[in-house]
Amino acid sequence: MRELYSTELEELERLLREEGELVDRAIRGALNVLARDDVDLADELIAFDDEVDRRYLSIEQGIPSLLARQTPVAGDLRLVLAILYVNLHLERVADYCVTVAKLTKLAHGLPRDAGVLDALEEMGERCREMLSTGLEYFSARDFTDPQALIDMDRPIDRANRKLIDRLIALGPDEPRREWAMRMMLVSRCLERIGDHAVDIGEQAAYLVRGEFEEFTDASHKTPRPAP
Amino acid sequence: MEAIKTKIEVSNKERPPTATDRVAVFEARDLAVSYAGQPAIAGVNIDIYQRLITAIIGPSGCGKSTFLRTLNRMNDLVPSAALSGELRYRGIELYGPGVDAVEVRRRVGMVFQRPNPFHSSIYDNVAYGMRILGLKKDLDQRVEKALRSAALWDEVKDRLKDSALGLSGGQQQRLCIARAIAVEPEVILFDEPASALDPIATSAIEDLMHELKRDYTLVIVTHNMQQAARVADMTAFFGLEVEPDGSRYGVLVEYDETTKIFTNPSDPRTEGYVTGRFG
Repeated sequence: MRELYSTELEELERLLREEGELVDRAIRGALNVLARDDVDLADELIAFDDEVDRRYLSIEQGIPSLLARQTPVAGDLRLVLAILYVNLHLERVADYCVTVAKLTKLAHGLPRDAGVLDALEEMGERCREMLSTGLEYFSARDFTDPQALIDMDRPIDRANRKLIDRLIALGPDEPRREWAMRMMLVSRCLERIGDHAVDIGEQAAYLVRGEFEEFTDASHKTPRPAP
Repeated sequence: MEAIKTKIEVSNKERPPTATDRVAVFEARDLAVSYAGQPAIAGVNIDIYQRLITAIIGPSGCGKSTFLRTLNRMNDLVPSAALSGELRYRGIELYGPGVDAVEVRRRVGMVFQRPNPFHSSIYDNVAYGMRILGLKKDLDQRVEKALRSAALWDEVKDRLKDSALGLSGGQQQRLCIARAIAVEPEVILFDEPASALDPIATSAIEDLMHELKRDYTLVIVTHNMQQAARVADMTAFFGLEVEPDGSRYGVLVEYDETTKIFTNPSDPRTEGYVTGRFG
C-alpha cells in the first residue's frame, strides 16, 4: 500500500546513506591533505564538496515535497524529520573538511610539528569512527547504547584541549606561531565534527524511541531530556 | 499591573486541561455491542473527557459508529442490538433501569454524516427541539444564540423564514449543529460530519468544533485521519479483530493524546493504520 510514498521515503534514505559515505571520504581526504601538506589534494577536496552538496540539496528539496503530498505521520514522520536534521549535520561536517583543506593551504610551507600532526590524525580517525557509528545506528534502527558514542567523543574533546597546550609550547617563533594558530582551528573543526556525529546518534535515538534526548549538553553537566 | 493580572487569569482559563485535571464524562468498561448475536465491538475500555475533542478513527467495519451510537443510546432504535459491559455517563449507568433514552439524547446530541435539516424554515429547524421540550420562553433569543454558536447567524439572520433546504451543504451542516446545541446538551457526537462537504465548508466545521470545545464535550468519528490530527485532543484507534471462524469485530487498540498517536503510537497496528501501510 502507498507504494510511491514508500519508494520516495526509501530514496531519501538512500541519498542520505550516499551522502554519509561521501562525507566519510571527505574526512579521510582532509586528514590526508593535512598529513601530506598536499595543496593539490586540498583543491580536489574543496571541489569534492559539490558532490556532498548535490545530495544535500536533493534531500533538502525532496522533504518539503514529500511532507506536502504524503503527510507522513508516526514512524514515517520521525524518519523524515530525522533525515532532515542528519542531512544538515552531514553537510556541516563536509564544510568543516573544506575548512581543514583551506587551513592546510594557508599553512603550507610553514614549519610543522609531528606531535601535533599525529594528535590531529588521531582525532580525525576518531571522528570517522563516530560518524560511521552514528549512521549505523540510524540505518539499522538499532539503538541500544548511546554511551558508545559519548565515550568516543570524550577523547576528542580532551585531545582538542591538550593540543592547545602543545601548540602554545611551540614558542614565539613567528612562522611556528602562525602554523600553530591554523592548526588550532583545524583541531576545532575536528572537534565540531565529533559533536555532529553525536547529534546524528541523537537523531537515530529519536527515530527509534520516539522521544528526543540530548546525549551531551554544552551548558549542563548532566544531559537532560527535551522539555 | 491589574490589567496584567486579569490577562493572566483569562489565559489560564483558556488553557486546555492537562492530563491531571481531566474530568471523565463517559466511562466505558469492557463494553461490547452485538447485532443479532454478531459482535460489533468488544472489550472497549475508555474514558471520554469533558470539553475535549475526542476522535475515533479506524478502518471500515471496526465499530466506530457503533461505539458513537452507544453514547446517546441511538442503538436502542436497532431492535437486534444488544449491549453488555458498563457505560457510565457522569457516573450514572447509561443503560441502567429508569434512564430515559430521550433525556440521554437531549444531553448527548448528534450530528450526522449528511446534513439532514427538516423540510421547514431555518428558524423552525432550530426551534423544533426547544418547542418539544417546552422551552418556549425567549424562543427568538435562544434561536439566535444557537445560530451564533454554530457560526451561522450572520449568514441567515435576514432569511430566517426561508426554507432550510435552500442553504448550501456546509450551511445545512452548521444548521444541524445549531439544532443540536439549541437544546443545550453537554456532549455533541459527530458521525463523519464533513465527509459530504468541500474543503472550505470542512474547515468551517473544524473551526466551529474548536469554538464549541469551550462549552461542550465533542466526540467525532472520522475516516479522514488528517481531520482527526487537526481537530482532536484525544484520539482512539479502533481496529478489527478477526476470529478463526472468520467473524470480525472492532476493538479499541490504542487511546492517547492525538500528538502521541500521530508521532509515536505505542501499538504497531496503530502505526500501520495511521501511516497508511495497511488497514
